[in-house]
Amino acid sequence: MAESKLANPAVVGLAGFGLTTLVLQFHNVGWMSSIGPVVWLGLIFGGLAQFIAGLQEQKTGNTFGYCAFTSYGAFWIALALMLIANKYDLFKASTEDVGWFLVAWTLFTTILWVGSLRIHGAMALTFTLLLAGFILLDLAHFGFPALTVAAGYTLMACALVAWYMMARIILNELYGRELLPAGRPWLS
Amino acid sequence: MRHIPFALAGLTLALGAVPAIGWAQNPDAATPAEVVTKVREAVQYLNAKGLAGFADFNNNKDARWVWKDSYVFVYSCRDDVMIAHPLRPDLVGRPILQMRDDKDRPVFQELCKAGARKDGGWAEYWWPKPGEAKASRKISYAHGAAVSFKSDIQVGAGIYDDTLTPAELDKIAEEAARLQKAAP
Repeated sequence: MAESKLANPAVVGLAGFGLTTLVLQFHNVGWMSSIGPVVWLGLIFGGLAQFIAGLQEQKTGNTFGYCAFTSYGAFWIALALMLIANKYDLFKASTEDVGWFLVAWTLFTTILWVGSLRIHGAMALTFTLLLAGFILLDLAHFGFPALTVAAGYTLMACALVAWYMMARIILNELYGRELLPAGRPWLS
Repeated sequence: MRHIPFALAGLTLALGAVPAIGWAQNPDAATPAEVVTKVREAVQYLNAKGLAGFADFNNNKDARWVWKDSYVFVYSCRDDVMIAHPLRPDLVGRPILQMRDDKDRPVFQELCKAGARKDGGWAEYWWPKPGEAKASRKISYAHGAAVSFKSDIQVGAGIYDDTLTPAELDKIAEEAARLQKAAP
């Protein structure tokens, strides 16, 4: 019996992560005034879809992808629910409270960032930008609100590099060759 | 005929003084101290409620943000947009920085400068009272608000007054802030 080929679930994880991150930054830099699209994308694409992709990663034996996709999927669902709940005065989170939420995610991201340095250049760059974006957002929530914009542009770059990794997986398979390289790991 | 310009000037002065006397005696007019307290209350409200709090300022039936002849409005200087205004829904979502008063002053550019100061500040401009077409001298207090995922939010509210000087207003704001900080 021929072994059936399984698709790489990372493409959906990267798609949801990148797109939702990108749309939040459209808001953070001031291009998109409402946070509405971020709430719904955060629940469905960045949240549900990325979370499921993460669970599928588990079966491929990719521990890093399993942890990253399910966790950031959960991040988006939690953030979207937190924004909705604030609207209805349900377990309200103030600016500082959201700041602490982000500080915890920054610490978590630091661990994955160390791991990303050994994977390949694109992954290391994605996580370096993600970590820098989180740190800028932390500062924005503790007295430097203007840094929201700097965080916005940093995380837009992060989202685009994540999409580069998605494009790599899809296009390299379709073209049957290394069309888009991943780059050497920053640490070996 | 030579006396007519003087007579007109006298009449203008006399008419100009009427609202000032009116403010001192009119219990329905908001006071500068109330304005400072309301703006600071709104800053804290937005800090606690986040982006979801903006809509609450567009409701002119909510006495919390509309009182006597004053009201609280919310805007972003960086994004050049009026975020909430309880009495002028037509201004919400519209650019603000190009708006000029009857004396050709860039109203919001002045407010943005005042609100950017650490403890907020006052801006003077000419704006119609609620329900009136003619512009009156308005003194507004603006203060920045920290809101998640928003780089720059300011809250403002004002009074209609012809006499108070910037120094007097700064003193009132300082006093109101001091009392608020002393409160438990």
